[in-house]
Amino acid sequence: MQREWTGFYLDGQVANRQRATIQLLPNGLYITTESGKTLSWAYNDIRQTQGFYAGEQVRLEHGGPITEVLLVSDAAFLSGLYQLVPRLASRLHDPSRRRTRGLLTLLAATAAIGIVVVAFRWGIPAVVAFAAPRVPVAWEKRLGEAVVAQIVPPEHRCDDPILQRRLNEIFAALTAPIPRSPYTFQVIVADDPTLNAFAAPGGSIVLLRGLVERTATPEEAAGVLAHEAQHVIKRHSTRALLQHASTGLLVGTLTGDASGIAAFGLDAARTVGLLRYSRDHEAEADAEGMRMVLAAGIDPSGMIAFYELLAREGPAIPGVLEYASSHPSTAQRIERLRALSAGAPAPSINWGDAEEWVTVRTRCRAESQPPSPEATPS
Amino acid sequence: MLNTMRCAKCGLTQLVTPTCKSCGTASGHPSRPPSLRLVPPSTPAAPIRSVVEPLDTSPASPPPPVDDGIEGHQTQRLSFHGIGGSLFGIYLVNIFRTLITLGAYHFWGTVRVRAYLLSESEFEGDRFAYHGTGRELLNGSLKAGFVFGVLIVCFNALPFLPGPGAQFAGAAIAYGLFLVLVPVAMVGARRYRLSRTSWRNIRFSFRGRTRDFVALFVGHFLLTVLTLSFYYPIFATKRYAFLVSHSYLGNQSFGFDGRGRDLFGSFLLAVLLTLPTLGLCWFWFLARKQRYWWDHTSFGAARFHSTVTGGRLLRLHAGNLLLFVLTLGLGWAWVVVRQVRFAFAYLAIEGPLDLGAVRQEAQGATATGDGLDSLMDMDSGFAVG
Repeated sequence: MQREWTGFYLDGQVANRQRATIQLLPNGLYITTESGKTLSWAYNDIRQTQGFYAGEQVRLEHGGPITEVLLVSDAAFLSGLYQLVPRLASRLHDPSRRRTRGLLTLLAATAAIGIVVVAFRWGIPAVVAFAAPRVPVAWEKRLGEAVVAQIVPPEHRCDDPILQRRLNEIFAALTAPIPRSPYTFQVIVADDPTLNAFAAPGGSIVLLRGLVERTATPEEAAGVLAHEAQHVIKRHSTRALLQHASTGLLVGTLTGDASGIAAFGLDAARTVGLLRYSRDHEAEADAEGMRMVLAAGIDPSGMIAFYELLAREGPAIPGVLEYASSHPSTAQRIERLRALSAGAPAPSINWGDAEEWVTVRTRCRAESQPPSPEATPS
Repeated sequence: MLNTMRCAKCGLTQLVTPTCKSCGTASGHPSRPPSLRLVPPSTPAAPIRSVVEPLDTSPASPPPPVDDGIEGHQTQRLSFHGIGGSLFGIYLVNIFRTLITLGAYHFWGTVRVRAYLLSESEFEGDRFAYHGTGRELLNGSLKAGFVFGVLIVCFNALPFLPGPGAQFAGAAIAYGLFLVLVPVAMVGARRYRLSRTSWRNIRFSFRGRTRDFVALFVGHFLLTVLTLSFYYPIFATKRYAFLVSHSYLGNQSFGFDGRGRDLFGSFLLAVLLTLPTLGLCWFWFLARKQRYWWDHTSFGAARFHSTVTGGRLLRLHAGNLLLFVLTLGLGWAWVVVRQVRFAFAYLAIEGPLDLGAVRQEAQGATATGDGLDSLMDMDSGFAVG
C-alpha cells in the first residue's frame, strides 16, 4: 500500500503553489513542503471540496475561514487513504462509488418526473380547491379593480346614463333572488367594437360595446350578465389565477428561474387579463347562469338566442368571448342550456318591446361619435 | 531570463524592479517606466507581444518551471474540462431535491452548479474553486425578496393613488427605485461571487463602492435615454470599466484602459445595418465589443486578448437555441458547457503573470445582491471581466 504521495500545497497567503510530499498516518496527514515547512492535519479537520468527477484533482482543505489547501492529482490517493482509514470513505468522496452515483441520478430523475406528474394532475387542483374559498373578497376586489383599471381605463368607458340605468335594472332583476352575496357588482360598458365580455374578480363585469349592440333583446343581455356574474360568484378568475401561480411556481422550481416568479408578482393584474377559463368553469358558468336567469323569472330563450349568435359568428370574429374557442362546440353548450331551461315556468319579467332596446343598446356609440347609418348593426 | 531577478535576501524570483516585492530589499536594478518592464535592456521599446513571444518559442530557453513566481511569458489560456452529462446529472438531482424540499434546496443546488463550473475551469494547471454556501444564498435571497416585495407593492399601489399628479409622482419614485436597484444588484452580485471564487486558494474580490456605481449607472443611463441610445457604447464601456478595474485577485487589481468612443463607429454601423441584415449584424457588434473590452483588460503586466468573431458568436447562439428548443430545455447543461468552452476558446492572456506578488486579501460580502440579481434576471456571470 502506497503511504507516500506527492501533490501541491497552497498556503492561502500567496498565489504560488509548493510541491509537497504527503505521508498517510493513522490519525492524519503529515505534509512536507518544498520550502521545508511541515504540517500535521488531523483527518477530522479535513474537508474535501474537489475531486468528485473524473479528471478533477483531489482538493483537501484545512482550517478556515481562509483555508490551507492540498492538491493531489492522482485519485488513487483516496483509495490508499481508505485502505488505511476506512471510516473516511463515508466522509470524503469515494471514486469507486461513481457508478452508484450515476444510478442514483437516474432514480432521482425518474422520481422527479413522477412528482411533477402527480403535482400537475392532483397537487395543483388540490391546492386551488383548498385556497380559492379562503381568498378574502377584499383581495379579489382590489385585484379586480386593478385589472379593470388596466384593461378598461375610465376614458374608454361609456358613461351614458340611460344605457347604464337599463343594464343596472336588468342586473338587479338577475340578482334579486340571490339571498346574500359578499360581492358588490358593477356593470361597465367599454367603448370597443369587439363582441366580448369579461368578469374581473371581485364583482366588476365589463361588456364591450360590440357585444351590447349585438344583443337583440334585454333578455339576451341578461343571459350574458348571468354567465359573467357566475364567473365572479364561483371565483373562476381567482381559481385560474391560483392555478396559473402554482403552475408558474412549479415551472420556476424546475427551471430554477426566480425572475419569472418575481415578474408574475410585478404584473399580476396583466396576468389576470390574459387568463382563460377552463372548459369546466365555462360549463359551470353556463349552467349556473341559466339557473340564475330562470330563478329571476327572465325568459331563457334570450340567453339561448345569444349563444346561437355566437355559434354563427363566433369563430369569424376575433376575440369572441375568446374562451369560446377553447370549447369543442358552442352547439353543445346550447344543447345543455336548452335542456336546463326545458319545462321552465312562463317568465314573470317582461322588459317591453325590443325596439326600445335597439335604441338603448346603441347609446354608447351615439355618445362617443356621431351616429352613421351604415355603422349601425342591422 | 533577461527580465527576471532573484531577491538576494528572501530568494523570491520576480520581475525586475528596484526593490524586492516581498521584502523590500534594494535589488540594484535601475527603476524603469512600467510600460518598458517587459523589454530586455538591449532591446528598444517594441510592442509587448513581439518581444514576449520569441522568448517562449526559442528552444534555447525552455519554459520556466511552473512555480518560479513568474509564469507565462507565453500566451496562456483558460481551459474547461466539464462535460454536459455531469452537469445534467447535477441538474437532475437538484430538481429532485428541490421538489421534495418544496423549493428550499434551490440555493444549495445553485452552489453545486457554480462549484462544478468553477472546479472544471483551469488556469496554469490549477482549478478555480467556489466557496459560497446554500445558507448564504438563501439569506441573500430572502433579503432581496423583501426589497423586491416593497417594489412590487409600490408598482401595484400606483392605480390607487388619488389623482394623476400623485400617480405620476408615485410612478417616478417606483421606477427610480427600480433604476437604483439594477446597479445595486449588479455590483452586489459581482462582489459576492468574486469574494467566493478563488484560484490557487487566493480569493478574488470586488472593491468598488456601491454608491459610486449607482451614480455612474443612473447618470449614464439617463444620458443614454436622452441621446436616444446613441450614448450606449460609452455607457456600457464605463460600466464595464468600473466593474473590471475594481476587481482583484488577492491584492492585485485588474485594469481597464478602453474608451467607449472607440466602439461608437461599430455601434453606429450596427444601427444602420439592423434592417438590411435583419438584426444579425448585432452579433458582429457584440464580438467587436467583447474583443475591444478584453484587449483593454489587464492583470498586472499581462493583458487579455480575445479573438472572438461575429460569425462564431452567431453559430454559437444559433446552435444553443437549436439545442435548447429541440430538447425542450433538457439540453440546458450542454448549452452552458458550450458557452463556457466558447468563452475560454477565444480568450488568451498574454505577457508575464507576476504571481509571486499576488497575496491574499480576502474581502467580506453578503449574498443580497446575488439574490436581487437572480430575481431581476440579469445574470451577471461569474467570470472576471
